[in-house]
Amino acid sequence: MIDDFLRAGLMMTTPILLTAIGGLVNRLGGIVNIGLEAMMLAGALVAVEVSAATGGVALALLAAALVGAAIGLAMSLVITRLRANEIIVGLGFTVAVAGFVRYLLKTLYGVAGTYNPPGVALLPRFDIPFLGGVPVLGALSHLDALTWAAWALVPLTAFALHRTRWGLRLRATGASEETVRAVGLAPLAIRDVSTTIAGALAGLAGAHLSIGVVGLFNEGITGGRGFIALAAFYFGRQSPWRTALGALLFGFFDAAQIRLQGRGLPADLVQTLPYVIVIIVLTGLGLADRARRAA
Amino acid sequence: MAARLNAAAPFALALLIGAAVLAATGHDPLAVYRLMIEEAFGGERRLAATLTAATPLLLTGLAAAVAFRAGVFNVGVEGCFYLGGLVAAVVGWRFGDWPAALLIPAALLLALVVGGAWMVLPGALRVRLGVDEVVTTLMLNFVAIGVTSWLVNGPLLARGSANSATPPIAASAELPRLLPPTSLNAGFLISLALVIAYGFWGRLTVGGFRSRLVGLNARFSRAVGLAPDRVVFGAMLASGALGGLAGGVHALGLVHRFVAGFSPGYGFTGIAIALLARNSALGVALAAVLFGALTSAGANIQLFSDVPIEIVEILQGAVMIFAVAQFGRRGRAVA
Repeated sequence: MIDDFLRAGLMMTTPILLTAIGGLVNRLGGIVNIGLEAMMLAGALVAVEVSAATGGVALALLAAALVGAAIGLAMSLVITRLRANEIIVGLGFTVAVAGFVRYLLKTLYGVAGTYNPPGVALLPRFDIPFLGGVPVLGALSHLDALTWAAWALVPLTAFALHRTRWGLRLRATGASEETVRAVGLAPLAIRDVSTTIAGALAGLAGAHLSIGVVGLFNEGITGGRGFIALAAFYFGRQSPWRTALGALLFGFFDAAQIRLQGRGLPADLVQTLPYVIVIIVLTGLGLADRARRAA
Repeated sequence: MAARLNAAAPFALALLIGAAVLAATGHDPLAVYRLMIEEAFGGERRLAATLTAATPLLLTGLAAAVAFRAGVFNVGVEGCFYLGGLVAAVVGWRFGDWPAALLIPAALLLALVVGGAWMVLPGALRVRLGVDEVVTTLMLNFVAIGVTSWLVNGPLLARGSANSATPPIAASAELPRLLPPTSLNAGFLISLALVIAYGFWGRLTVGGFRSRLVGLNARFSRAVGLAPDRVVFGAMLASGALGGLAGGVHALGLVHRFVAGFSPGYGFTGIAIALLARNSALGVALAAVLFGALTSAGANIQLFSDVPIEIVEILQGAVMIFAVAQFGRRGRAVA
């Protein structure tokens, strides 16, 4: 029973975590990505389509990552090359992609809202021998590969950001574009790469939503998780570990709220918690800043 | 002339993108666009439908413009719209026995106040602690939508109603219709009057000049003795108040109650409108009518052809993207 709940929490964390790690990398490179929701949504649709058409889960994941990356790159180019405001471009992509996805559902499949093709192959789950019956730890059994990959990404990202040349260049690009240009690197290209990565991860997150559990696509399948991921990496500030903690927190909120539905806990209010937390975190940071300046 | 071309370019580019989508899915873009123009402007009724659709957009566009011109990036108008709509609907229902001359102003005033109050926190955080208002106002949208949705699912749910809505407002709270049987109502006049007032305020008054100066260069404004913090805070509140009023007008004028999913993104479309308009009053009016035309034509072409209404969202998103893109020349100021 408790295992089921913990496992549900972990499964709900996966898409938020994947997207938030991408958003964190993107933000460190100097772009606040408001378009993550769009990339997630496109990834979710493409994953269902490819999975149903080919029966290949790996292919579906690849396609979802590619479409997310493509949208990320397009968005990044508008921001870096046409010097457009990142927030508005992000909102614009969110609106346009959501519209485009629904447009496609109607024109290609003749459905409104939900696309449920036959033969969608789901992400396989891995059972860990002997762990299944152990209380609490049993939750780690019967998870999918993408969930494990998402968690592996946390130390990997931390390492890449702080121990590799690539990570240094990325952080430098976010901190001071001029400096990076002065030493002969291309900050805009670095930024584009970071947005492309964020897009790919958001695409995978979308795939986890559509072929991880349910095996269908719905226009509301992302349910604002792109923005919750935004909340998670604002919560995490510069750190992949703190970001993961934020994602875990919001993932468990999600799971708890589904469990508690119909028991008097107002779901609509619980769903606003991640956003309230972001404002609290930002307020705390602002206060700390002021105290530092006063000292 | 150059400025006007500038404003037309994003729209033209968006139409190109839309044409590509239409052509790729087997529609004749020119025929669809021609049908849309016909459906938006052909005849009195269709024109009334377009202006009805433009009504909330006039105010959300104005709300965004008021903030943007002072250099505050308020993206929280959507949340204010929800709150203002809910408050006005509740007043229009609970105090339905009041005379219209008292009820309507009271409901709208309260919507205005609630919208402004919602922006006190992000405004204060920006001015006092330097917290980025973009993120806080974006987050507050989700909070406002969640809170209003909770209220209409529980405490304020209409008795015997399965869907999440307040009871309908009293007939005395409804804004009078201008052209029955069309749903064009006095809300359009209120909105248009405010946009015109904004135009005069921006050009002819000290406050309007001050807000533009702060938006252009906050450090300079401080150096010459203006109080940019006060201007920024005021702009934030005014923007929220207009957003709340927009919701109130929408509730009393068109929907006649508050329902979950009250706004299909009017606050965000308002951002696109203000950007296209470069914060000018005339621009806001034109862009609002343009987006209103898109919305009302979109609904009709879905009925009369097999082009999904979502083509409108694709166009809207593309306009937002291209409105902030800078082609060629360097250093054009962006919002």
